[in-house]
Amino acid sequence: MRSFEHVNALNIQTTVALLSEPSTEAIAGGTDLLGELKARLRSPQRLVNLKTLSKLREIRYSPRVGLRLGALVTLAEIERHPVVQERFPILAQAASSAATPQLRHMGTIGGNLCQKPRCWYYRNKLFHCWLKGGDICFAEDGENKYHAILGADRCHAVHPSDLAPALIALDATVCVVGPEVEGEISLEELYTKPTERHRRMTILGPGELITEIRVPPPKKNARGVYLKAMERGSWSFALVSVAAQMSLEGERITDARIALGGVAAIPWRARESERLLVGQEFSEELAERAAEAAVAGAQPLRDNGYKVPLAKSLVKRALEISIRERSDM
Amino acid sequence: MPKVIKTRTEFEGHVFEEYVVVEGEGLSAWDAQTPLRYIGRQIPRTDGPERVTGKAVYTFDVQLPGMLYGKILRSPHPHARIKSINTQRAERLPGVRAVLSFKNAPKLSFRQGQTFLFDEIVRYVGDEVACVIADEEEIAEDALELIEVEYERLPFVLDPEEALRPEAPNVQPSGNLLNGKPDIYERGDLDRGFSQADLIVERTFRTQCALHNCLETHGSVALWEGDALTVWDSTQHIFGVRAGLAQLLGLPLHKVRVIKRYMGGGFGSKNGLGKYTVIAALGAKATGRPVKIMLDRHEENLAAGNRPSTIQHLKVGARRDGTLTALELKAIVNAGAFCTWPPSVGGPARQLYLCPNVKTEQYTVFTNTGPLSAFRAPGYVEGTFALESLMDELAHELKIDPLELRLKNYAEIDQTTGRPYSTKGLREAYERGAKLFGWKALTSNPSPVAHLRERGGAVGERATKLRGVGMASQIWSGNGMPPAYAIVKINPDGTATVVTGTQDIGTGTKTVLAQIAAEELGFPIEKISVEIGDTQLGLYAPLSAGSMTVASVGPAVRLAAHEARQQLLDVAAQVLEVPRESLAICDGLLSSPALKEAVAIKDVLEKLENFMIIGRGAREPNPEDVAVNTFGAQFAEVTVDTETGEVKVERIVAVHDSGRVINPLTLSSQIEGGIIQGLGYALFEQRVVDRNTGVVVNDNLENYKLPTALDIPEIVFEMVDRPDHRANNLGAKGVGEPPIIPTAAAIANAVANALGIRIYELPLTREKILKALKRV
Repeated sequence: MRSFEHVNALNIQTTVALLSEPSTEAIAGGTDLLGELKARLRSPQRLVNLKTLSKLREIRYSPRVGLRLGALVTLAEIERHPVVQERFPILAQAASSAATPQLRHMGTIGGNLCQKPRCWYYRNKLFHCWLKGGDICFAEDGENKYHAILGADRCHAVHPSDLAPALIALDATVCVVGPEVEGEISLEELYTKPTERHRRMTILGPGELITEIRVPPPKKNARGVYLKAMERGSWSFALVSVAAQMSLEGERITDARIALGGVAAIPWRARESERLLVGQEFSEELAERAAEAAVAGAQPLRDNGYKVPLAKSLVKRALEISIRERSDM
Repeated sequence: MPKVIKTRTEFEGHVFEEYVVVEGEGLSAWDAQTPLRYIGRQIPRTDGPERVTGKAVYTFDVQLPGMLYGKILRSPHPHARIKSINTQRAERLPGVRAVLSFKNAPKLSFRQGQTFLFDEIVRYVGDEVACVIADEEEIAEDALELIEVEYERLPFVLDPEEALRPEAPNVQPSGNLLNGKPDIYERGDLDRGFSQADLIVERTFRTQCALHNCLETHGSVALWEGDALTVWDSTQHIFGVRAGLAQLLGLPLHKVRVIKRYMGGGFGSKNGLGKYTVIAALGAKATGRPVKIMLDRHEENLAAGNRPSTIQHLKVGARRDGTLTALELKAIVNAGAFCTWPPSVGGPARQLYLCPNVKTEQYTVFTNTGPLSAFRAPGYVEGTFALESLMDELAHELKIDPLELRLKNYAEIDQTTGRPYSTKGLREAYERGAKLFGWKALTSNPSPVAHLRERGGAVGERATKLRGVGMASQIWSGNGMPPAYAIVKINPDGTATVVTGTQDIGTGTKTVLAQIAAEELGFPIEKISVEIGDTQLGLYAPLSAGSMTVASVGPAVRLAAHEARQQLLDVAAQVLEVPRESLAICDGLLSSPALKEAVAIKDVLEKLENFMIIGRGAREPNPEDVAVNTFGAQFAEVTVDTETGEVKVERIVAVHDSGRVINPLTLSSQIEGGIIQGLGYALFEQRVVDRNTGVVVNDNLENYKLPTALDIPEIVFEMVDRPDHRANNLGAKGVGEPPIIPTAAAIANAVANALGIRIYELPLTREKILKALKRV
């Protein structure tokens, strides 16, 4: 990688100001950024080290407001936290399925949610792809077994985060600060399909930072699961992942939130599946229909057609596991 | 007196006749009555502590005063002519000491004339274009971006079948087929054989390109002192590198020293001289300072070799009772841009089963992709997958148990030479393996090919998993060969030093040689040191490949130790004034009925000032009347999730015959490592080349999927452990490659058994499983 200046963040305000300057980037765990710097995809002149913002390292929980995760909380801390394990198991499952123990000890939740796609054309300096400001998506007509089956337009990369689908299923929000903004948005709103003018996968602009992730208290009788299909047993991004969170009254589903990873440029909310489920009593046939609905409109490329049945199977399985676990109670 | 002998040897499926010079008296392998203190014992690695505490200096760790770093500029195009190259901006960058390219470097022929060190034509993405030598690696990398190269892009071809078409662009001037013709082997009468068959099964199999991904990447450090060159190299053959450097640089052999102390794996990819080594030597010459060039992971996966992809058309004929009548293989191998050592994909078809009528035909094809190299049992892993898959299909068609079919066609002689095998423990391996695995119980009900449904599975009462079992067999050389030389020095204090020019590539060679010397000398192993990996101080030993290090170098070490022991006995008898034949050496002590108590060797030798005992040993020739091979069988049990396509290998049972076991600990690393590497090949590993640009898109450990701890099944293994007295004076044969050979075939057979459908292409990904189940 090229040389750069490394400065410690003093407080949020000055950090935002620093990050608004040209050729300046934030670094926390560095597990994503360092890969880009080593591949020379980007060569910022200055890195602002967020790890000195100790306030952003806290995990807080109260039954009334729910879970508050500072942006610098590591995946390892989330995975091991007793309250997360007990109250938000799908978050613990998602965190523990990500990467490797070494990477989870370095990687932060804020960085995980804002990470860049793993598309092998995007990550390779030899390809000036559309997402990097070029003219074409090399995956469209190239090697695309890892690429998107849903909602792709100019870019076929998928969002790689394991935590994002889990947090969306948990209805999480994020606190964002920037030179011109400060506020709380739903995590789902953070993500955006890259467009001609905004070739990024989040709405964050220069100098804008996530400071906290907020998860509301779990609903009554809430159950969920995070399932992830990988090419091998560990240390892999999801081919497809599913986060499902459901609430039940008796046999009737009162609430359902389902989000998929690995299928689209954004964590993919399966709203039609949710609509089919809510108000119904669970059955295998219903799970089948909900699974079908999750991939409705899929447009696979040459090599990624397998993701369609895989996503369906995982959605169905996630629903069945959620229900079964409830009946086990 | 040295004897000159003409010998016929097999190496990785190729047979050679060559002269060798041997010396020393013959020793036979220890018999069952000889009590052995070190051979066959679990001796921990003698260099284990320095390896695991980070003190071991690998090539990567070599730091010399004033050392510079080299980084190589590689072609971004699969086929192009360099029209112009301008290095001025790079040279002006502070910290840059030299930039080498075809413009200023000598035009050195490489890979048997298929390319030059810096060629004006680049033939794959990753081919060497230039090299920057700078004070720091980062500066060298910065400078690479400042080199201006104008390429004239040429038409390219990536697919070997397309490359064989007449209209395909030529990768090499002589055409895309290596040697202009296929490599053909024939015995018997194929047409007659097929006409005698009651059943003919014909299938096409495809195997992927696999990358070695040695933990330590390829690289060298070069240092000139006057007109003498020293190179630290991560290599499997220090003497080969010395010969190559001397020839290319016009140096006499005594002015080239190649050192390799510790190494993080090679698997065949470090068998020969690399361009980076020559470039480091030229860079060090040009700058007057030592130069280090280590490839990074990305370069490693572009330019450091691979197991080539194959397409194998296999046709087998058999009688109703399973007797093979004919076997035909037509194989296409994607060599990449260069090839001097084609793998022998037809080896298993020629050797594994008794069959009078056999033809193998191999087309080794140049394409504009990264060049192949040897990779742990080259050709045999690929060939065994196809052959053993086809044997299972034949068994299925004939309704014969797959193991029965193999026993039915058991070969007692090597059909390629007509010689009997020195020993062949494959029958024991089958029987013992089947017992350990529970083969009979798992395959007898309800049909020869069992589909055992997992009840329950992951989800409620719905059965989502299928369970299957499969097996496969293995033949490989592993015989070892001359020449290999060693000396054993006995020091005045009763310690001994083994000196030879082999290299420990991570397999435990050093420990095994210490065991052999300790056993023969009668010394405690703590009193033995082993000095290897240095061409200047060592004696010639062959490359550490072909599973031949122990079987080649070990016998020479034993002979050297034996001769040293004879000399020790000679002087001890005279000093102690006892009859020579009454003396024995055990645990470093001399004893004799004529002595009141045992005497330490030190006490004898110290009387003789600094008298130095030096024993010499040379590897004896291989026997001419028998074939020396290694064998084995593996059994696999898998579960397949029919909804998600996930294949989980539940367990592997392996039984191998590699003659005598010298060290069960280092052996277990080889067996387990081979099986794990075979599992990766069966399920995950695959180089992906972008079809439109020729770029390897998974040139990293993120997307090139090696197995992780969670993918590794229960592994149970046993050795037949029968010394091969004809093989050499140890009775030991190689074990580095045998365990990887049958693994993928056994797993593929188990998956086919689970699904009731065969997948003819590796790796067995979720995509292929879901397609086979018609879910895609």
